[in-house]
Amino acid sequence: MTTYTDEQVAHLTEGSLDWETTFRMLSMPKDHSRFEQYLKALQAKVPFKERIVLPLGPHLYIVQNAAKQWVTQCDCGHVFGDYRENWKLNAAVYVRDTEEAMTEVYPRLMAPDTQWQVYREYYCPSCGAMHDVEAPTPWYPVIHDFEPDIEAFYRDWLGLPIPEKAA
Amino acid sequence: MEVQTASRVQVLGIDAGGTMTDTFFVREDGRFVVGKAQSNPADESLAIFNSSQDALAHWDRTVEEVFPELVTGVYSGTAMLNRILMRKGLDVGLICNKGFEQIHSMGRALQSYLGYALEDRIHLNTHRYDEPLVPVSRTRGVTERTDVQGKVVIPLREADVRQATRELVEAGSQAIVICLLQSHKNESSEVRARDVVRDELQRLKVDIPVFASVDYYPSRKESHRMNTTILEAYGAEPSRQTLKKVSDRFKKHGAKFDLRVMATHGGTISWKAKELARTIVSGPIGGVIGSKLLGECLGDENIACSDIGGTSFDVALITKGNFAIKSDPDMARLVLSLPLVAMDSVGAGAGSFVRLDPYSKAIKLGPDSAGYRVGTCWPESGLDTVSVSDCHVVLGYLNPNNFLGGAIKLDVQRARDHIKAQIADPLGLSVEDAAAGVIELLDLTLSEYLRANISAKGYNPAEFTCFSYGGAGPVHTYGYTEGVGFKDVVVPAWAAGFSAFGCACADFEYRYDKSVDLGVSQHAGDADKAAACSTLQDAWSELAVKVIDEFVINGYKAEDVILIPGYKMQYMGQLNDLEIASPVTTAATAADWDRIVEAFENTYGRVYASSARSPELGFSITGAILRGTVVTQKPVLPEDPDAGPTPPPEAYLGTRPFYRHKKWVNAALWRMEALKAGNHIVGPAIIESDATTFVVPDGFETRVDKHRLFHLKEIR
Repeated sequence: MTTYTDEQVAHLTEGSLDWETTFRMLSMPKDHSRFEQYLKALQAKVPFKERIVLPLGPHLYIVQNAAKQWVTQCDCGHVFGDYRENWKLNAAVYVRDTEEAMTEVYPRLMAPDTQWQVYREYYCPSCGAMHDVEAPTPWYPVIHDFEPDIEAFYRDWLGLPIPEKAA
Repeated sequence: MEVQTASRVQVLGIDAGGTMTDTFFVREDGRFVVGKAQSNPADESLAIFNSSQDALAHWDRTVEEVFPELVTGVYSGTAMLNRILMRKGLDVGLICNKGFEQIHSMGRALQSYLGYALEDRIHLNTHRYDEPLVPVSRTRGVTERTDVQGKVVIPLREADVRQATRELVEAGSQAIVICLLQSHKNESSEVRARDVVRDELQRLKVDIPVFASVDYYPSRKESHRMNTTILEAYGAEPSRQTLKKVSDRFKKHGAKFDLRVMATHGGTISWKAKELARTIVSGPIGGVIGSKLLGECLGDENIACSDIGGTSFDVALITKGNFAIKSDPDMARLVLSLPLVAMDSVGAGAGSFVRLDPYSKAIKLGPDSAGYRVGTCWPESGLDTVSVSDCHVVLGYLNPNNFLGGAIKLDVQRARDHIKAQIADPLGLSVEDAAAGVIELLDLTLSEYLRANISAKGYNPAEFTCFSYGGAGPVHTYGYTEGVGFKDVVVPAWAAGFSAFGCACADFEYRYDKSVDLGVSQHAGDADKAAACSTLQDAWSELAVKVIDEFVINGYKAEDVILIPGYKMQYMGQLNDLEIASPVTTAATAADWDRIVEAFENTYGRVYASSARSPELGFSITGAILRGTVVTQKPVLPEDPDAGPTPPPEAYLGTRPFYRHKKWVNAALWRMEALKAGNHIVGPAIIESDATTFVVPDGFETRVDKHRLFHLKEIR
């Protein structure tokens, strides 16, 4: 079983891990302690004190707050609400639904026809970090990406104690 | 001793590997010595010198005495390969067709996973491009287009070429490569571009070499041709300096021979040769060449060559006395168009790491390996993952006090502890059974691979003699040949230096290839056949000039050169061609064509099946080949008198506990060098030499023949 140092995993999260180690990580069965090391590396990076339960994106996490509630939270500490709710409903949204808005991100004629497809960009209302982009048809409801069963993940997959959660 | 030293040393073979540099000296009477020294990438010549000293010490002779006696010296090594892998070549500028500037970096997409194990190849996340040999910033497109038929559709815009040259010089290019589309079909635009570049360089008063693909590798497949020409510009000149250093050191110690280098096509070329890119891989080829020569001596024309090293198991087949040539191989994760002796490899070797899959609890070998670090049994290795060598040490296969002639001491207990913790305990097995399970798995993997390699090509193992060599080969020979049903299994006493020996066996031979496109139907008229012959002959004549030029560089005259024409042929519309040594020395008439076809059909029937022959499709010639050789001195095999079946008492070293099939037995230990021709040994026995260990377990016996070849047999 291959194991890695906390430093290597920290480099992995930063994208600065050397290729040979990255390649070995990719090809070998996953090391048991990776998730714990990964959380440790993330926790060291974020400015907030709340404990990370599950990372959701490069700047978005499910954390355990002081009241032991699990909430979705941005890097900057902005809280999007209970982790079971769709955090996007509490985010700032920018919809690209005109050709003009599309040409800001793609060359002309290389972007979708906005009658068929629009981009919906979700930002943190406090710090402006972009957390997600959807590319649905114009009328499509806001997508709830992920409803994680965190208890099962910790218990059955990781074999780790489940972080405390207020009812 | 005096009798022995009276004989002159004639031939030297060198295998400068990544870890060890082997030298192999052969005397007139066929006696040989093998020398080993730690490789020295910074100065290969020094490692060769040290290795030579080590070898000649066995004869109580010195380098100064022996070097002047040598008539042949052949080098094979990884200098060129390492230069490419480490991207330490010249800053090359590239001129290609406008719009195709990114082609080199894109590497046909498949360069992102070349050299990977299957598991990684199908795992997209692992795919990754190496840094290209030429960055896009030093690539310029010029307007020109030649179509697939070789017709110039857009003429070369010479002003573009001049500007590209100026920009590439400005960007610091140390060499310029030109590779235009379809230039193998019609060279005119590329040749013109080359001349314009040279002219512009002269105007700029810049003296840098220019490499046009048509002058080097005029073969179809654009990425292959471009890569190969770039490789030549990028790595050949710096490698030539390395080889010159080696040659100079030989000269300094009185050597009079001209150093030759093993090349991918299985011949050797001078270090002064124009095309050095083909020396990129040479070590493993040596073994195949050596096997061919041994086979000729023994009268075996079908041979399965098997070479097991630390990281991989290489298999090559010799059928009817010939090895196969692959014309567009990949090396160093680049697709190339170089003729390469065909070999198949699996990434499991004596140093492979052994791990348990945490989910299935299955034992997994490799794909990475301990390499020169041996395993956890060598405390200084810094390793903590079990390797196959660890299992060997624990089971008594290897002598912990005589590894590499005692150069390093192995710690059996350390290996035991690691096997226990990592393999045995999780599986609930004893250390011995866990280690034996690993060996069995390796043996099974290798023997299945060997068997599949032979039967997949339509052959029957019973018609083949298996040669087993490489430092670790003889340890495993019994394991991977058991039950395969070979006619004979042969382990040369010099297995560890076999690649170096093979290099010394190789002809001084240049080979040039050129793509041609000829199609002639089955019942074509004489005029068509003669026309096809004339195209083929033109290609041969063009190649002959190149081949003879190379020999002239080394001071040979045109009449000394023996030219051997060949061609690649296929049934029209089929995908794979076969390489045929031409039955005619010149091609001109319809009768010549018929003989060319006949030779192809005979080979086709032998390689596949007579009933698979399809002359009704017509015939295509896809490539012209010309090989040229001159006479050189080759090693002769020793001829020892038969000393009877009983080994001399001084060869006996005692016994060692040896574990196989769930029990410990006492294996007799023999010193390989002291065994005599005719000696017969019944297993369990272990025959040790400095550089290799030959394992003859229970149920096997071996006999030494007059050439110092061990023949291994199963006792039924």
